[in-house]
Amino acid sequence: MSAALLLAIGGLTSAGIYLITARSLSRIILGFSLLGHAAVLALMASGGPAGEAPIAPTDGIANPLPQALSLTAIVISFGLTLFLLALAARQRTLTGDDLVEDDIEDRRVAAAGDDA
Amino acid sequence: MRVALLVAAIAPALAAAWAVGQLLNETTTTSASYTWVDGLDLGFHFAANELGLLMMLLVSGIGAGVFVYASGYFSPTAAAATRFPATLLAFSTSMLGLVLADSIWTLFIFWEFTTVTSFLLVGHKHQDPTVRAAARRALMITGGGGLALLAGLIILGNEAGTSTISELTPVSGTAATVAAVLVMIGAATKSAQFPFHVWLPGAMAAPTPVSAYLHSATMVKAGVLLVAVLGTVFADVTWWKTLGLAFGIASMFWGAIGALRQRDGKLILAWGTVSQLGLLITLLSLGTAKATFAAISLLFAHALFKAALFLIIGEVDIRTGTRNIDELGGLSRRMPVAFAVALAAGVSMMGAPPLLGFMAKEAAIEAALGLAGTERIVVAGAIIGASILTVGYTVRFLIGVFGPGPDTAVAPRRLAMTIPAVVLAALSVAGYFGAGIVTNIVGPAATQLNAKADVYELIRWPGLKTAFVISVGILIAGCALGTILARRSMTEPATIGAESADRAIDGVLDFAPKLTAAVQHGSLPVYLATMATAVTVAALPFLGELSFDHVVLWDHPVQGVLAVAIVAAAIAGGFVTSRLGAALTLGAVGTGISGLFIAQGAPDLALTQLLVETVIVVGFVIGLGHLAHRFPESTGAWTTTRGVLAVTGGVAVVAALVASSASPTGTAPIDELTTASVDEGGGNNVVNVILTDMRALDTLGEVVVLATVAIGILALARTRTPETAS
Repeated sequence: MSAALLLAIGGLTSAGIYLITARSLSRIILGFSLLGHAAVLALMASGGPAGEAPIAPTDGIANPLPQALSLTAIVISFGLTLFLLALAARQRTLTGDDLVEDDIEDRRVAAAGDDA
Repeated sequence: MRVALLVAAIAPALAAAWAVGQLLNETTTTSASYTWVDGLDLGFHFAANELGLLMMLLVSGIGAGVFVYASGYFSPTAAAATRFPATLLAFSTSMLGLVLADSIWTLFIFWEFTTVTSFLLVGHKHQDPTVRAAARRALMITGGGGLALLAGLIILGNEAGTSTISELTPVSGTAATVAAVLVMIGAATKSAQFPFHVWLPGAMAAPTPVSAYLHSATMVKAGVLLVAVLGTVFADVTWWKTLGLAFGIASMFWGAIGALRQRDGKLILAWGTVSQLGLLITLLSLGTAKATFAAISLLFAHALFKAALFLIIGEVDIRTGTRNIDELGGLSRRMPVAFAVALAAGVSMMGAPPLLGFMAKEAAIEAALGLAGTERIVVAGAIIGASILTVGYTVRFLIGVFGPGPDTAVAPRRLAMTIPAVVLAALSVAGYFGAGIVTNIVGPAATQLNAKADVYELIRWPGLKTAFVISVGILIAGCALGTILARRSMTEPATIGAESADRAIDGVLDFAPKLTAAVQHGSLPVYLATMATAVTVAALPFLGELSFDHVVLWDHPVQGVLAVAIVAAAIAGGFVTSRLGAALTLGAVGTGISGLFIAQGAPDLALTQLLVETVIVVGFVIGLGHLAHRFPESTGAWTTTRGVLAVTGGVAVVAALVASSASPTGTAPIDELTTASVDEGGGNNVVNVILTDMRALDTLGEVVVLATVAIGILALARTRTPETAS
């Protein structure tokens, strides 16, 4: 496993966690995106060392399996990011900013518990 | 409802008749099986062995009687007319499944069925809050015991290697001890053993037919049956016996003392049941052949006399309107049939001839005398002491209910209520004179549990042996005690046990919403931080496996350069304050990742990543471009917490990856995949063939996801501002 990849994975994870715990939806989206990158890199790193592009009949090619899985992961996280962006845009249209408010239903549940 | 109850009585009556036929024929064990989950050893297995048939006879026979009795007990206009017969029949069926179960899982399932149906029966008059509280208490205690039982059975199943009860072999060791303790606790909750007995007196809030059925003959015997059946399996576990004796002896005394202090006739009987069940658990925990034989005999006798007594107190309640022994008087003259039944059943309960209870009690005393050392002193002393108290509360009950006192007005007799009680009392008498037949019924059941028990039989007149002398002593002392206490008006004991049980249940119910409020607080950032923490904690076990043997600096130097660039861009993304800047850092990270893909040897991924990244950056700018350019400032403790979480989370993920790389298993299937893609997929680009051929269905799913996202985005993008919408 390459230490360089590990460094990238660790850095992306840290930045991702820091960003998703923010109040602003655009930062959360940014964080999710970075976490997605970290996950794909982790998948690649655990698949084995680097090599030639997996196109037959070349020798010494990289493991194609994590690449196939990663491709799916990239596309799905792409869809998720775009959807979150649309949500943020809608939030902006409705409220003028993109801050995530506390869930009102959850607040009610919590209030009921405090009263009990 | 009367007709419904009489029709419902047919089913248990037939079952009882079948059981009698099987018992008399001494044919081989009838069994039935139904596989539920193959391979998990899960299924319904039933075996009508000797003990099963005996219990079946009691459950169904008394059940049929109780149905007939109930048809007289309830007024024709009673509310919930249809619910009661149905629930009672469901309970009866559950109980039948329980006593015939030959698999620990079948046993457990029916065990829980009886818990639930008995909850419904105890809570029959649910309009009354005290009834609801009593039903809830019974459910919580027996249900909690059910959980202990389940845990115990799982351990036992693992230890013994089988779930079939008839194939279980003795187990020993630490795991077996834990299983034994858990199973014993389960049995003690169901059989109302001290200190779990607190639900039983409360359960007397149920209609009397229910009490007579559940709390004399059947449900409370489930725990006894469990101790009997698993007694041989846990014979080598010291704690099984110790705990059983502790539960049994404590309950024998505390139940009898409780019975002596109550003034409600039904509660006297209920507390007496706790005491009698304690005696049964004590005898079965001993595990000797004689004690097992005595226990089974007593179980049989107890079912007959206690059901009869419950039926009588219910009749007294219905015909006079009260069960309080202070308010009842002269009933021996006004209710002669009921008095005769109560006398026969009561004398059987005292253990005096010429009744079935005498022979059973005699066997119990002999079994206790047959022990050795300290055990003999403790057990024999306990049985003798508790028997004196038993005679005492029986005499007090008989004098209190039927003896002299203020004349009570009595309503006319209802035939349906009288017949079952008379039959049960008659059986208690007939059992004494037909001792041989009873021996033929209880003997094989005891022998099934303990092979050495086949030499014992019920003896009608033992002669002047030690046990008989002791019996006479018990009767004299008990009668004296009962007569004295019957005259004395005592304060009813405070229900401390039941109240503390209720408080514990209320405490849990109060705690639950508070916990929910703490956990479900509604703040998205805190939810996400909690998840990140969970991920970090999940990586902890990997720390022990850390090894850098398989870690190289880089596969290619460019990886190092790109990694540093990516991390720098990612960190910048965390701190940049303008939205446009954030979008740009995202683009930078994405491009860097594409570079890493090229270095790794994945051109397809690199191309895809570049495309995706471009679209996202454009989307970011279009979607959020109109927003204020700067993020709101965030400082303070929460920012520090986020920073700490971020760093530990990143380190944890890296540690987990390093640890997992330390022990590679197998080799990558590169050659297989290449061959397969060329020969079967007909393509040279292995990644493409995997996606479009080998995992074609997954890729189709992916396309569906993207289409769904596109539709969602379209819908969201159409949102208008509140002003334009209105």
